[in-house]
Order: sequence, then structure tokens, then C-alpha cells
Amino acid sequence: MTQHATATPSWADQFHRFEHNGAEISPAWLRDVRKSAFGNFERLGFPTARKGNEPWKYTNVRPIAEAAFTLAEHAPDAGIDLHAYELPCPRVHQLVFVDGHYEPGLSTEPVSEAGLHSDVLGRHGDGPVVGRLADAIEYRVPLVREQLGRLAPAEGNAFTALNTAFLRDGAFVQIPDGTFVPEPIYLLFISTGAQAVVTHPRVLIAAGADSSATVLQSFHSLDGGAYLTNALTEVVTSPGANLRLCTLQIESGDAFHIATTRMEQARDSRVSSVVVDLGGQLVRRETATLLGASGADVNLCGLYYGAGERHVDNQTFVDHAAPGASSNEVYKGILDDSSHGVFSGGVLVRPDSQQTVAHQVNKNLLLSSDAEVDTQPKLEIYADDVTCTHGAAVGQLDADALFYLKSRGIGEDVARNLLVHGFVSEVLDAIEDGAVRQHVEQAVAECLSGSR
Amino acid sequence: MLEVRDLHAEVNGVEILKGVDLSVGVDETHAIMGPNGSGKSTLAYVLAGRPGYEVTAGSVTFDGDDLLALPAEERARRGLFLSFQHPVEIPGVRMDHFLRAGYNELRKNAGEEQLDPLKFDRLIRSKAKAVEMEPAMTKRAVNEGFSGGEKKRNEVLQMAVLEPRLRILDEIDSGLDVDALREVARGITDLSVPGTSTILVTHYDRVLSYLEPDHVHVLIDGRIARSGGRALAKEIEERGYDWLEAGAGV
Repeated sequence: MTQHATATPSWADQFHRFEHNGAEISPAWLRDVRKSAFGNFERLGFPTARKGNEPWKYTNVRPIAEAAFTLAEHAPDAGIDLHAYELPCPRVHQLVFVDGHYEPGLSTEPVSEAGLHSDVLGRHGDGPVVGRLADAIEYRVPLVREQLGRLAPAEGNAFTALNTAFLRDGAFVQIPDGTFVPEPIYLLFISTGAQAVVTHPRVLIAAGADSSATVLQSFHSLDGGAYLTNALTEVVTSPGANLRLCTLQIESGDAFHIATTRMEQARDSRVSSVVVDLGGQLVRRETATLLGASGADVNLCGLYYGAGERHVDNQTFVDHAAPGASSNEVYKGILDDSSHGVFSGGVLVRPDSQQTVAHQVNKNLLLSSDAEVDTQPKLEIYADDVTCTHGAAVGQLDADALFYLKSRGIGEDVARNLLVHGFVSEVLDAIEDGAVRQHVEQAVAECLSGSR
Repeated sequence: MLEVRDLHAEVNGVEILKGVDLSVGVDETHAIMGPNGSGKSTLAYVLAGRPGYEVTAGSVTFDGDDLLALPAEERARRGLFLSFQHPVEIPGVRMDHFLRAGYNELRKNAGEEQLDPLKFDRLIRSKAKAVEMEPAMTKRAVNEGFSGGEKKRNEVLQMAVLEPRLRILDEIDSGLDVDALREVARGITDLSVPGTSTILVTHYDRVLSYLEPDHVHVLIDGRIARSGGRALAKEIEERGYDWLEAGAGV
């Protein structure tokens, strides 16, 4: 308890400062939401790995609780070269945030006031709205007030509460009904890497009925500091929506990265989510979806790479709350040096959710004898007419395969690389958009080859 | 080309090879026959450099160089090829990527220019056609979901691309029906350009009707118990191995 007593006042000071002059936009409802969220944070404190706190059994956030993080000052975009982050395609809808601050000069989507007015929103055949959350709040987009914090309430989770307490800006993506967006929507969050800075990226995505889009969220750092990214994404889909989400995380090796994604899926909607964690010192990623109507389908894929003393914790939760919905999960970990991976896959099949199909696989490749992984499926099934499978595996590189490759003239390093890439390809192949897949594959290749 | 002298080898501390002598010249085909457990596959693996197969005595030279001092990949680069009895399935690794990596290692070793994916694609397509393999199969993961016949044909494709000088074919006919065997054997024969030698490791005489050996050796309990010509294989086909085992004191 002592760490709360010492850490919380500094958060409290900051919150009061933020409330009085840090928040650029402040409608009354949002002030209330923030205040209530901060109250929740003070009540909850940071989670501890104490006995009985199952979701935090393997992940110790004391280093976060004990550090004194401060909100970033606005950093000018001068000197930031986006070349390395560019997607290999001619057109993207791109928003760039540096240390949590929107950068109009680097973004391609200056949202006009007209584009956010409710009377033109959601019209069939319109292009997507890809803009600042701050703008959507300022222009009173009804959907924002209705949805913000609905899927990720601040009551039960300290990090969610903190994100909402310091909510100021972020990305708002809305795909109108019946709209197919051919270009990737690219949300780029760059940290300057300044020591002890915290950002709370917030994203709200609403996919209209029978719409189709790809959204890539990408987290990078310019320099290696012990900063904290506390990201929160809420995703709501309308019937028949097809949404492809991808997250690429390459934070500094000293950074803390907490990411929470909460989704709600309507009838016959389909979400594909691929998360790729390649950086950070301590990474905790929660991905949850509520399959709230029949025909909803989710594909959750993940790849995590541990090197040095990195700790990567993935928690997934699929709530089968309606009959005839399906879920598929493939999470793969590569753990080198003395890194530690955690996977916990929660699946809840509620009593009336007959004809549920739920598959889950977690495979881990240990490249070092000091690397560790804890994996656990958590299936709760209360319906009887269901197809549910789960499997977990932990192993080393296949020695027979390694010899087979070498017997064809391939050297040790190249052979190991081929096998590691073969191991991850199943996850990367789940990225449907070609440009996004190529971009992420490149990042994975650089990360894996740079480390050995 | 290959000189094996008094070769002793252990697997998991158990001596399997107990003094093998074998001499393979250029353009020769040798058959190593023997009952199960006699050490045939062990000999093949020791020559290819498989980890876990420990040589405790004896020597092997390849073109005069100490073969046993070289790692497996270096042996392959110098022209040695082992066709596996059970080719390994490697999920997620595409055939063409894998084979291009191997091919370019050999080119690099020979001081030749490496092939980019486009040029290699042309090469592998023409080789696939030559060994009667569907070129689309080269885009699939290595051996994954392949039938027994497809796996063996894939080994032949790899030989066609890598063009080894010494081929060790471990039970090349296992899992093949007579038609598949004929096709695989024809593929191997077509690849037998001058300067190529072959070691056929086999339990049965069957494959020797398709790939005629110049020399036949019978391995019994880790030693060559008898060497001869094609007639020796025929004799084994009729009489089995018992009479030789008795002679070797087994």
C-alpha cells in the first residue's frame, strides 16, 4: 500500500493542474467524466501482483507506480522524419501525435468543422471521418459523448481510469454506413522518448453498418527513455461491419506500454485484430470484445517478441453473449534472453449462446534458457451446444528442421531466422491489407535480425 | 571422392557404427544394404553431419578434406546432399524461400553471383517441371501436408536445384508405390550428370532395379559384412540377411 501513498499525490497534483489549465477543451460533461475517472483511480490505486488478483498475477507494475510521470509539454514537430514510418501505398488517412499532441503538419487529415457536423455524419457513401477526438468533442458529435468511456468504464481498471481522467485528445474514426475505405487509416503515436513523460492516447472507432476499413495504430519512439504510454481504444461496430485492426508497438526498450482495447460487435460484424509487440520494457496489452449479437465474428491474433529483460503480457477476453457467434485466437510469442511472456486467454460462453464456435491457440518459442513464459486459457462455458478448442505450446526451435535447412547449405543464423519467421508468419498473414502487412513484416524482420 | 576409414559412431552413448570402411569414386553408385538397426541411416546421418551422431574413431575425407571437421551446412556447400527418409515438415517456411537461401549459399561458396527472387523463381519453375512437380507447390510451406510421394519428389527437386556431386539417398523408395518410385528414380537418373556419385541406402532390393548400383555393400551390426556387385543384392532378395548375420557372428 505504501507505493500508492507516495505515488498518488503526484498524480493528484497533476490532475488538478490539468483540470485547471491543461485541458484545452472542456465541456461540462467531459469535466465530470474526468473528475469521476480520477476519483476511481484514487480509489483503485495501481494493481498489485498480490494473491487473489488473478489478472495481475504475473505482471508487476510497481516500477510504474513508483515513478513520477508528468504530462508532456507540446513538442514541435520540427525535425521529425516520418520516412521510416511510411506505409508502402500511395494514399493513407494519417493522423500523427507526438507525445500525445496532435501534429497537423504531419497528418493528412485536417478535419473540417463541416465534416464533423452530425447532419452529414453517417451518410451512405461518404468517406471516413478520421480526425482529432478533441475536434469531435468540440463540435459535439453526439456519438462521441454516447460512446466515450461506455465500453471502457473507469470503475474497474486504474489505467483506464487514468486515461479517461487525462482525456484531452486522440483519434476519432467513423466509417459511415455502407462505406468501403480502400486506403489504410493510420494512427501514428510517436514518443520523443523524454524521460518520465506520460501520454494517454485515446482512440474511438465506430464502424457503420456494412462498412469496411483497415485501421493501423503504431507506437514508436525517437529516443530511449523510461516513459509511459497508457493507450485506450474503444471500438463499436454496427451490423455487417468489417473492421481490420492492426497495432504495431515498437517503443523504446526502457518504456512502459499499457494498452487496452475494448470492442463491441453487432450482428454479422467481423473484426480482425492483429497486435504486434516488438518493444518496451514492460508491456501489458488487454484486448477484449463483446460478441453481442448472432453472426458476430472476431479473429484475434498477436505476436510478441521479448529480448533483454522485457516483460510482455497479453490478456484477451472474448465474451460470447449471443448465439451463433464465432471467435478465433492465435497468439505467438518469441522469447529471447531473460524476457518474460504472459498470455491469458479468457473466453466466456454465456448460457444462451448456443452454436458458439471459439478456438484459441497460444504458441511460444523460447530462444534462450533464461526466457520464461506463463500461458493460461480461461474458458468458462455455460452453453452445451458449442465448439470450443484451446491449446498452448512452449518449445524451442525444431532441431530436426534446423538440421534439414543446414543440410541444404543454409548456415546457422539464416536457418534460425527462417524458422523464426516461419513461426510468426501465421500471425502476420492474418493482416489482410497488403501495405500494412508489408510494413509490419518489415518491422518484424528488422527487429528479429537486429537482435541476434 | 569419399573415403571412409574405420568409422565408429555413437548415438546417445550407444555405439552403432563399429568400424565402417567405404570408398566411393567419381561417377560410381554404391548401395548400402542391411537389416533394420544395422546402422545404415546412422552412416547417412554421420556423413551429412547431423547433431547427436558422435564419431568416436575413424576418418572420412571428401575430395581429400576432413569431412568430419565441417559443419553440416559446409558439407552441403561442397556438394554433399542427403535425401531424407522422412523429409521434415517446416510450417510457415515457403519452399522457394528455403531453397533460394540454400542455392545462394552454394553460389556464394562457389564465388558466383546470387540470384534475386525473380531469377530464382524462373529457375525453380523449370526445375519443378523437369521433375514433374507442380510449380505451385514451391509456394507452399516446406513439406507441410505433402503426401509421402510428394515429399520424395520434393527431395528430387532440391537435388535438381542444388546439383550435388555426392548424393546420399536414405530409403528413397519408402512410401512410394511402383509408379511414384519409377518417376522418382527417373528424376534421379536424369540428374546423374558426369562427376556425380550416389550412395543408395536401402533395406530392399526393389529400388536397385531402377537405380543400378556398381557396388553393393551389406552392413551388419555396424560393419560392412560383405561387398560385391549387383548379384549380391539379388542374393539378399532371395535369401534375406540371416545367412550374412550368421557369418558376421550376430
